[in-house]
Amino acid sequence: MATLDAAAKKQGKGWQPALLRHEVLLAVILVIALIFLAAQTDKFLTTGNLLNQGRLMAEVGLVALPMTLIIVTGGIDLSVGSILGLCAIVLGYSWKNLGVPLPLAMVMALGVGTLAGFANGWFITRVRVPPLIMTLATLAFYRGLAEGISQARSVRGYPDWFFQLGQGDVWGVPTQLWILAVAVVITAVILARTPFGRGLYAIGHNEVGARFSGIPVDRYKLIIYTFSGAMAGLAGVIFVSRVSTTRSDMGTGLELDVIAAVVLGGTSIFGGTGTMLGTVLGFIMIQLLKNGLALTGVKGDATIVVIGIVLILSILLTNFIQRRRSGNE
Amino acid sequence: MLTGEPSPLLALQGVSKSFPGVRALREVAFELRAGEVHALLGENGAGKSTLIKIVSGVHRPDAGQLLIDGQPAAFASPLDAQAAGIATIYQELLLFPELSVAENIFMGHPPRARLGAIDWQKMRAGAEAILASLEIHDLDVSSLVGGLSVGQRQRVEIAKALSQNARILIMDEPTAALAEADVVRLFGIVRMLRGRGVGIVYISHRMEEVFELSDRVTVLRDGAYVGTRVTAATSRDELITMMVGRTIDQLFPKSVAKLGNPILELRELRRQPLTRGISLTLRAGEIVGLAGLVGSGRSELAQVIFGITPAESGEILIAGEAARVGSPGAAKRLGIAYVPEDRGSQGLIRPMSLCHNVSMAVLGRLRQGPFVDQGAEADLAERSIRQFNIRASSRDQVVEQLSGGNQQKIVLGKWLATAPRILIMDEPTRGIDVGAKAEIHRLMSELAAKGLAILMISSELPEIMGMSDRILVMREGRLVAEFARDAASQEAIAAAMMSDDAAAAEAGAAVPA
Repeated sequence: MATLDAAAKKQGKGWQPALLRHEVLLAVILVIALIFLAAQTDKFLTTGNLLNQGRLMAEVGLVALPMTLIIVTGGIDLSVGSILGLCAIVLGYSWKNLGVPLPLAMVMALGVGTLAGFANGWFITRVRVPPLIMTLATLAFYRGLAEGISQARSVRGYPDWFFQLGQGDVWGVPTQLWILAVAVVITAVILARTPFGRGLYAIGHNEVGARFSGIPVDRYKLIIYTFSGAMAGLAGVIFVSRVSTTRSDMGTGLELDVIAAVVLGGTSIFGGTGTMLGTVLGFIMIQLLKNGLALTGVKGDATIVVIGIVLILSILLTNFIQRRRSGNE
Repeated sequence: MLTGEPSPLLALQGVSKSFPGVRALREVAFELRAGEVHALLGENGAGKSTLIKIVSGVHRPDAGQLLIDGQPAAFASPLDAQAAGIATIYQELLLFPELSVAENIFMGHPPRARLGAIDWQKMRAGAEAILASLEIHDLDVSSLVGGLSVGQRQRVEIAKALSQNARILIMDEPTAALAEADVVRLFGIVRMLRGRGVGIVYISHRMEEVFELSDRVTVLRDGAYVGTRVTAATSRDELITMMVGRTIDQLFPKSVAKLGNPILELRELRRQPLTRGISLTLRAGEIVGLAGLVGSGRSELAQVIFGITPAESGEILIAGEAARVGSPGAAKRLGIAYVPEDRGSQGLIRPMSLCHNVSMAVLGRLRQGPFVDQGAEADLAERSIRQFNIRASSRDQVVEQLSGGNQQKIVLGKWLATAPRILIMDEPTRGIDVGAKAEIHRLMSELAAKGLAILMISSELPEIMGMSDRILVMREGRLVAEFARDAASQEAIAAAMMSDDAAAAEAGAAVPA
């Protein structure tokens, strides 16, 4: 590591190797955590358990992808958990109470999520409400809508075919893991290789400079917030399918897990840096920690404490690396 | 002023410093005596900034020695340097706009009353005393810094330095953003401080200032020490030769170009508050200079044309066809390019690499299917490095590590990559060293000769007069005078800028209706 470090320095190369270093670091920590947890209990490192963890991870993962794009631009979306809840309710309510065919209800749920994200983006770009404030407001607003529509009644009794999405397998792998994998690849390529992705980094580093370069800053932002809402909607549908019921408090606190995963993955909350690979490592890490600690008999509350500590350590480590680099400049 | 004191206030001996890929300083010597103004000259990238950062404790030298009063000193942080009596006034003033003048002056070391509370009365009195000692009587110590002019803020910075009992004052291009009257006052203050025995390191690109103000000049080139001269015993030409290592025959090589068809026509263009009915015509191959005071609305006009703040009324015609420029993206598609005034925040994404900055405006064209064509992007960067003679360790170097001149060349490269028909350049050579300046001027001439229409905003009259085929003068959001290249004189342009219509007319200006 140290020699790699020095070599990169000698070549005078800037931020790309540095980013890679964070992800390498995270991967190493992940492997160490895996080995440690596997040594603690033989229930952990089994195919069955790992696949099941993949199933549990999918919702956070799906929402973390657009969240990475948003945080790369220096923004934030706190409303994703509420959008997930709202979409779950729209799905259940329109199917059960309005008699909408279930496939159509699923599409409606996705549509509502997309619309909710679009509303966030519209206010952020047109009315210039700061993302933190706007999505804090809609965090309350969308959750309130969900509760208002559901009237605290849960919806059950979905047909069997619907559970294929959240409980079924395709070629031995949970269905939603396939969806997540495809989404990861697509968003990773978009962020790393397209003009759009490059524009997002530029916006995160210097929004004025991006605008002066002719990058359609507002359109890009509108796209990512809309995308975030759509993915929260998709995660909501999968969530309902996985747990077989719809309740209005679904997804409460999801935003914290998602943001933790993205930041753990090395995306700077100030914008401009971050990769999809880092985010993937981030949400895998959080899920495995939760599961591993639970299996070794650690109680739920303590698990959250451990995740908090891991997050703090990872940020300290990143800061330390960055300071050492800039201190030498 | 040059009494041969036994040990100078500050001395650097054999100081070297390297950064990744760059040797910023090589065995540099420098000496500052009490009661002298010592100018530091050099092209951007010559190592001036690194030198002052070492003196002010931001960087530590790799080799060599720093002596204060003849004693070796090592600063672990800027605080150590401050404690040793060194104060630095950077180009970007580091004040808190939301706080009062007095609070800013005593930032970090407020006078204390009992229980560690701030003694406000003492602070105000102290601030007033310091300002009075600088003969500054027009500043209310309880007004907020955010409401002050640049010149006033700078005086607050100087007072702040004095409140820390600074004996060594480093000023990095203090006049870069100042109006004429403020410059005069600044010089007065600098001379007053010199009289009190403060040693002043003065960095500036303006040769006239160096001769007006300094006692000695030290020149750096490419990180190496070139020499120190007594100012009174040297000449402008000698200093330029020392700086660039060659003589510059001609700073403004504008050749008379053949003018083509009108490319850009503005008709009664309006946008509140500072674009008030602008009509002008720009022809292919023509360089039109836009002169005016700071705040006369020149950059605002440029940003209306470029679509950052679209026009509220009026017409823009591109090559004879009416065009709607609603966004910078639209402007780009119409062949308008804008090299903005503020490189750091508008022109570049500074934490990104040279390569990614150069391609920033043409990503839409550098595509392979939906992806950025990285091969073509690398080619573009390499071509720009060669064409504009950009000094960087590689195309992957982060642009904030480069000197101002090289950064400006990158902005230029980025916009020329869009193959524009109209190029608006806003203060194209501000804060740039003589060599890079000449290169940019030569490039502008070449581009105009190839048929590009250039609108150049500049606050340097020699540049306006040297480069322009035609000169327009703007005042309070309106065009108030127009001069042909041959009919222009500095006096007439200045008079038009300052609202003396009669004098301008007398000097031969055609005042547009």
